Amino acid sequence: MATHDIDHGLEAERGDTPLLPTERMWGFWEFTYANSALAIATWAFLIGGATALFVGPREGIAAIVIGNILGVLLATFSTCVPCGKYGTEQFTFLRSMFGSNGSRLVYVLAVVFLTMGWLAVLGLMFGRSIDGLSGLVSAHQTDPNGWLVLASGTFAIVLTAIVVAKGPTSIKVFNTIVAPALVVIMGVMLYLILSQHSFAELMALPALDAPFDDKRVNFMIAVEVNMAAGFSWWPYIGNLARLSKNQRTAFWPNVIGIFAAAALGEVVGLLAAAALGNSDPTVWMTHIGGIVFGVIALGFVAFANVTSMINILYTSIVGLRQLAGKKLRDMRWTLLVALFCVVPALIVCFAPGIYDGFFIFLVWTSALNSALAGIGIADYFFLRRQRMNLRHLYAAEAQSPYRYWKGFNPIALTALVIGFGAYVLVFNPQTLANTTLFTFVTASLPSCLLAGIVHYGLTRVLAQRLGWGAYPSRHAGTTRTLDLDSRSYSND
Amino acid sequence: MNSQAEHARAQDLERRIRVYEEMEKGEQWPGALSAADYIAITLMTLVLVVGFYLWGY
Repeated sequence: MATHDIDHGLEAERGDTPLLPTERMWGFWEFTYANSALAIATWAFLIGGATALFVGPREGIAAIVIGNILGVLLATFSTCVPCGKYGTEQFTFLRSMFGSNGSRLVYVLAVVFLTMGWLAVLGLMFGRSIDGLSGLVSAHQTDPNGWLVLASGTFAIVLTAIVVAKGPTSIKVFNTIVAPALVVIMGVMLYLILSQHSFAELMALPALDAPFDDKRVNFMIAVEVNMAAGFSWWPYIGNLARLSKNQRTAFWPNVIGIFAAAALGEVVGLLAAAALGNSDPTVWMTHIGGIVFGVIALGFVAFANVTSMINILYTSIVGLRQLAGKKLRDMRWTLLVALFCVVPALIVCFAPGIYDGFFIFLVWTSALNSALAGIGIADYFFLRRQRMNLRHLYAAEAQSPYRYWKGFNPIALTALVIGFGAYVLVFNPQTLANTTLFTFVTASLPSCLLAGIVHYGLTRVLAQRLGWGAYPSRHAGTTRTLDLDSRSYSND
Repeated sequence: MNSQAEHARAQDLERRIRVYEEMEKGEQWPGALSAADYIAITLMTLVLVVGFYLWGY
């Protein structure tokens, strides 16, 4: 009886089984809207503002484009391309390279901590926008940590939870309305900035607070900040891409959404910060457009944070269901969403200071995400040659070739540690201390490359001898298929 | 009831895996990124990185 009541399409949409091409709801534009809605939020303006601290607008625009395109492409190749092809949940797919327990570990590191932090930061961004709005329309004195900011931040988290609890269809509707409006608003902001300052005048402006005398170091830090922004999508976009109709639809919208739309927002933030000397959009929006435009723009930007929160919360909950298997899979979707939102709401209420550490937090995430991207690319493109065996992926843990060593792949984890360590050696996000290598190739690129090379090399040397991972031999055309059935889930 | 639900899920998973195995047997994967896509991505990246580096720095 109960078995007949199960909607397997809905289960797949909210769980870890592969979505069939006929079930996927997002075409090119829907995924573009989702991507844009994810990308455009206060964080885009703040990253642009942070770029203005290190370099002038001309170098800043170059750093935004270079950093974002490289970070976004490397993040999408390692996530959207495989998840878009097979419709698999991103962290289930990750079992093929990290093992089932290794995938859980990566989920905890890259999603649980980071998403809870991001939800709190975005909630506070929403709260500050509402506080700024209130200050514009009344005599209310704004306070970055005042009761209005905290109450509005908590409200944003509750609103996010309500939309996500209703599932991807409501997310699609929300994105389709908000994303185009945000692009128009950013275009108007750009127009207003350029109508008050000539392009040549803006391009000649200096950095707001360059930390080093060496122009090259400042430029590379600006590139690194933006590359960190590009890589920061790694934990989220795979699970959004699996909802798009095919692999091409899972890839190209990223170039429009999380690259172009994010870059546009960052350029607006950069120019506004350089021209007005303040990177906080709640301050410069009214300076640029006056009270009426400031109120409208701030209102939209406030809700832009909510669309970003919705998208990252949805992908995190889908991943969460593979973390503890049956127990979480049987738990109601709405309850899971509500429980996940408790910690971010507490952070908003009791540790609002997290907002001020936003920029350092972002760059630290790149030390992890760049290494994860390198391992993903080496594994999927070069070791598995873009062919996954879903039977292996969903086999019971004890029988799966992806069990590696007690569910962990020591090779991938070693590569992750080496990539992370290389990043911090080349560039310390906390102190900005850097090496000569950093001034030529940033820190994310060597971290990504080194993690990929270590994973590829050690897998070729060790994995086949140890019988790990069912990798095809170097000269074999296809993957080895173990005759496994899918009667069990590997996360049982 | 739980084991019934698990059995139904396993059957559904098997059906999904078979769909992809059938697609894997085909000559072409519908909607897959092609060589033209990869060339376009490479050229776009080179133009953006080199172009903006020369313009901005």
